[in-house]
Amino acid sequence: MSGLVSDEIAEDYKSSLEDLTTNDGIQIRTLTVIAKENTEHAMAISRVLENHIRSTPPLQKLPALYVADSIVKNVGSPYTLFLGRNMYQTFMNVYTLVDGNTRRKLDEMLNTWKQPAPGSLDTRPVFPPDITRNIESALIKARTAALQQQQARAQPDILGRRANGTPTGWTNSSTPQNMSRPSQNQYPNGHSNSAPPQTHRQDIDLSYLNRDVDALIASAKIDFANSPFNPISQQRLKALVDLQAILQKQQLAPDQLKLVRDQVSALAATRPPSVAPNAATNGPVVSAPPQIPTPPAQPVSQPLHQLLNHNTLAELIKATASRQQSTPPPQILTAPPQMPQYSHQSGPPQPAPENPLIAALRARGLLPSGPASSSLTPSSSTPVSGRSNLPFILPHGMQPTPPAPSQTAIPSNGTSGVPMSTASMKIPRFGLIVSLYDSRPNRCGTCGRRFLTTDEGKEMKARHLDWHFKTNQRMTESSRRAQNRSWYVDERDWIKSREAGDENGAADPQATAEGTTGVDGNTKQEPPKPWIRAPNDATLRNTPCPICQEKFEPTWSEDVQDWIWQDATKVGSRVYHASCYSEVTKGPAPTRQTRTSTPDSVLGKRKAEGTESPSQKTRIKTEI
Amino acid sequence: MSLPGLELTQPSEERSQAPALPSQVNLTPGSEWRFEVAFGHIIKVKLLNGTAELFGTELAESQTYTFTGTKAAIFTWHGCALEVTAVETASTTSDGVTPTVGHGVGGCQSEYTAEETPMVEYANVHFALETMREEAQSIGKDGPRVLLLGSENTGKTSLAKILTAYATKIGRQPLVVNLDPTEGMLGVPGTLTATAFRTILDVEDGWGSSPMSGPSPVPVKLPLVYSYPMQSPLDGEGAVYRPVVSRLALSVTGRMAEDEDARETGIIVDTPGILGTDRPGTMELINHIVTEFSITTILVLGSERLYSTVARQYDNKPTSSATAAVFDEHISVVKLSKSGGCVDRDDAFRKATRESQIRSYFFGNPIPSSSPSSAITLSPHAQQLDFASLPVYNYTVSSVDDEDEDEYDPSQLGTGDSFLPGGGGMDDYAPQETKQDPDRAAPLPGVVGSFSEPADNANSNATANGSTVPLKKVLPPAPSALANTLLAITHAPTTASPAEVRDASIMGFLYVADVDADKGKIRVLAPVGGRMPPRAIIWAKRWPGELVGLVG
Repeated sequence: MSGLVSDEIAEDYKSSLEDLTTNDGIQIRTLTVIAKENTEHAMAISRVLENHIRSTPPLQKLPALYVADSIVKNVGSPYTLFLGRNMYQTFMNVYTLVDGNTRRKLDEMLNTWKQPAPGSLDTRPVFPPDITRNIESALIKARTAALQQQQARAQPDILGRRANGTPTGWTNSSTPQNMSRPSQNQYPNGHSNSAPPQTHRQDIDLSYLNRDVDALIASAKIDFANSPFNPISQQRLKALVDLQAILQKQQLAPDQLKLVRDQVSALAATRPPSVAPNAATNGPVVSAPPQIPTPPAQPVSQPLHQLLNHNTLAELIKATASRQQSTPPPQILTAPPQMPQYSHQSGPPQPAPENPLIAALRARGLLPSGPASSSLTPSSSTPVSGRSNLPFILPHGMQPTPPAPSQTAIPSNGTSGVPMSTASMKIPRFGLIVSLYDSRPNRCGTCGRRFLTTDEGKEMKARHLDWHFKTNQRMTESSRRAQNRSWYVDERDWIKSREAGDENGAADPQATAEGTTGVDGNTKQEPPKPWIRAPNDATLRNTPCPICQEKFEPTWSEDVQDWIWQDATKVGSRVYHASCYSEVTKGPAPTRQTRTSTPDSVLGKRKAEGTESPSQKTRIKTEI
Repeated sequence: MSLPGLELTQPSEERSQAPALPSQVNLTPGSEWRFEVAFGHIIKVKLLNGTAELFGTELAESQTYTFTGTKAAIFTWHGCALEVTAVETASTTSDGVTPTVGHGVGGCQSEYTAEETPMVEYANVHFALETMREEAQSIGKDGPRVLLLGSENTGKTSLAKILTAYATKIGRQPLVVNLDPTEGMLGVPGTLTATAFRTILDVEDGWGSSPMSGPSPVPVKLPLVYSYPMQSPLDGEGAVYRPVVSRLALSVTGRMAEDEDARETGIIVDTPGILGTDRPGTMELINHIVTEFSITTILVLGSERLYSTVARQYDNKPTSSATAAVFDEHISVVKLSKSGGCVDRDDAFRKATRESQIRSYFFGNPIPSSSPSSAITLSPHAQQLDFASLPVYNYTVSSVDDEDEDEYDPSQLGTGDSFLPGGGGMDDYAPQETKQDPDRAAPLPGVVGSFSEPADNANSNATANGSTVPLKKVLPPAPSALANTLLAITHAPTTASPAEVRDASIMGFLYVADVDADKGKIRVLAPVGGRMPPRAIIWAKRWPGELVGLVG
């Protein structure tokens, strides 16, 4: 093999890799086949692949890593050898730079590497155990360290999640509750928010929680297996199993569940240091958390146990409440005394005097609004303030009335006292015209709508502009597709319907259309088969189901007159196979069948394999 | 979507001539620019500076608005400068009508600036209504229910738009009810509709658009639609109009009871011009509407005679609202000036307006505007239907205006007899006896209880006097007169009684492209594809009547 040819192949391969920007099964398959046909250049290809994974933008790292996964599983040696050499660095490099969802996928993929390649006669795991073990232990260490960091920092991660989730919650979702949230005081720029990389739901998402707990248990087990005599990992495992039991019994109130969720997600998803939005919203609180695996690990036993036991949740709340003083808390629950090397816990005073978690809790009415409310810093970078959370605890009936007292006050000043009589109509009242124009000087440049100059008005305008922006986007997208007039609604639906103003973020005709065309008298009787319209957005369209990693196949629906995804359900901003989702949310299976992360394995072996679990047979998917 | 001979998308014609130079119109505060654009001719209007509004809806600065087939006025409170440009169009429209290009600015048929407008009065109406709304809000009663009366071409619909636009502008959500079957609102003519308006009205396209499968640059509105396939409410002595109005009022009341925003803002009712005349029977219908909607405010446009009649009967009388006594609610009748800008819309123009409404129901925004963003092309679905399987009903009432027009189709003769005990030929006289069903004549406004059992109600209705509903099933063979007419698909099941069919709201419309009587098939254009929903269908034979050339 001449070096020249190898270089050429490598160059070709490199350019092909650069075309791979999404998790495209076909492309990955093609790249695998090329690698298979050029095993004599395996070294060059492996090098190119490694370099590519390292240099490509974070969003494209996962597909690139999937190529490696696919090659190793479908071609195997010698690629396993070449790619395995640096896999630790490659994997960790990717892991530190991607968001939580991608990390979950990476975890799943890593799990498959510990097993034999699917369909292969070889009983050895995909990668030699020492490679995967190295990665795993590093990940566990990183998680543990990050957990301590985060708990020491009083959950800024939750804060980050919430702050991120809030705007996207109502921009992406079309559920009415989300639309009618009247006040979001943090809304920097409507346009920039339309496609955030990661989105989280506000609501307590049991499936996430269960999955996270599963993952934690799995890693705790490994940990335990690695060092069976370490009492710390033993306790950790026990605590997690306890938690899982509690979750399965569903004993927790939503608030408690939320707390648990937050804790678990803090455990599971470590915060990427590179994700800008988090850092930005957290403002000064973030003090560059060390993400690199820190040597002293697994110490969290007792506190964790305490934390995860639902009997102590009340104590937790109390304890957190007691930390309202701005003094650096030495008695942090999760700061074990035997961990003095985390100097910042007892060392320099915390930059943010007020614990945002507490603020959030208080805003939800979980905590009494103590004197600490005055200590709520005016720091505008604290995105979760009591005010922005208030709408959530408003009684539902209040929400449809958008004009807050302050708003109605303005027109009312001008117009009160005009009697309805013929004579009165003749009197010019030019002063009152102000209420139509000058009192709302904040104009939309596109449609001429006017808004108040108050904060609320600005917010409405921002949302209104966002609506324009998204509508324009959708107009461009939908111009390629035939559209049609929808059926009119019937009396009942009309009476129940509420006009969604564009300022509420989602006057989504598609949502209305779904309600009217998707359901008619006939289909109501049948058990509802979940489906959604295939999204127009290319990235959404190519995003696989986060659970099974398989892409959705659009099918044409005569009833809806549109391309739809069968067996799909939208949870938050992500789309799942409804069957996968219900399978996962039904309750964690004791031994979770891990699936390969490689989408559409070349030989299609994965399909046949997954049938040992009876619940998987019930999956109905339209495969073309 | 290719239908033979379908010329809805006019080919983008070459601009052989140099583009017309834009002309500028300067308006002083309180004046308006009135313009008429013929169908087939297009003008573009841009607000250069100042503020301007078209029937209450403000124009955005520097945005281009396109108009065709319209007679409208742009008013300014503060003064403004407009730029008007003519758009070169094809020499003929699809109807073969040569567009009349006027000599006015931008090729308008007629355009001028008027200093005297009734806008001060109209704005005062808004402020007075707003006063009532605030009062209602503070003591917890319903917002004002406004009825607009006036003969043809007095600006009722324009005033309705102004009041709606002003209310939405300050964050209100009025329920707008159109009781004029001659003109559709968010749909085709021959319908009575109710719609809650929260978002801005479409400057270019009247009220805006009803929902479509795709996005719309102006937020879509969601109307509740009832079929009234006759031109005049007086047809059949109001025997059909009254129950449909009652039904509509019931739904509106139901919405008011549940929708806080709508309840505070109240209702705006637009009526057909015929109610503003002194024809026999109009006062009864007005009374019916005033009662059903618990009207609080009657605005009479233009006519002194009508005003004195209405004022005598209603001014200062308690409203029909259930809570009228509690809140001491009284009807006020107010006379308003008719705008000097109101022009007669001749029959040809009205017909063209109707056709354009039907066209845009099926095919989308009729304006081939230069910005692709605002033009929406819809693709209806053509399909063959077996006529025998369709439960098509037809109204058999005599028209006030043209007795002789309501002739029987030969193919129908003798086929309908089995359905009604009275016999086919006798149906013409049935309406005489048709009185309001006592069960549902005047449901107490504000009481929604009866709404939740519409089926029961209608059933008892049907058994009580089913034979008096002048609605007759059209049995095969398919009458050739079906061609080029509209069919209204109701929400009523195929087995519904005539009364239920009459009272049912509408899902949508089919356009019958042609009829194959031999095979018993009809070819129709449906807005939504797929299997035809199994619902009762009302034949809009008499109104809006035949529309030739929608599909070639």
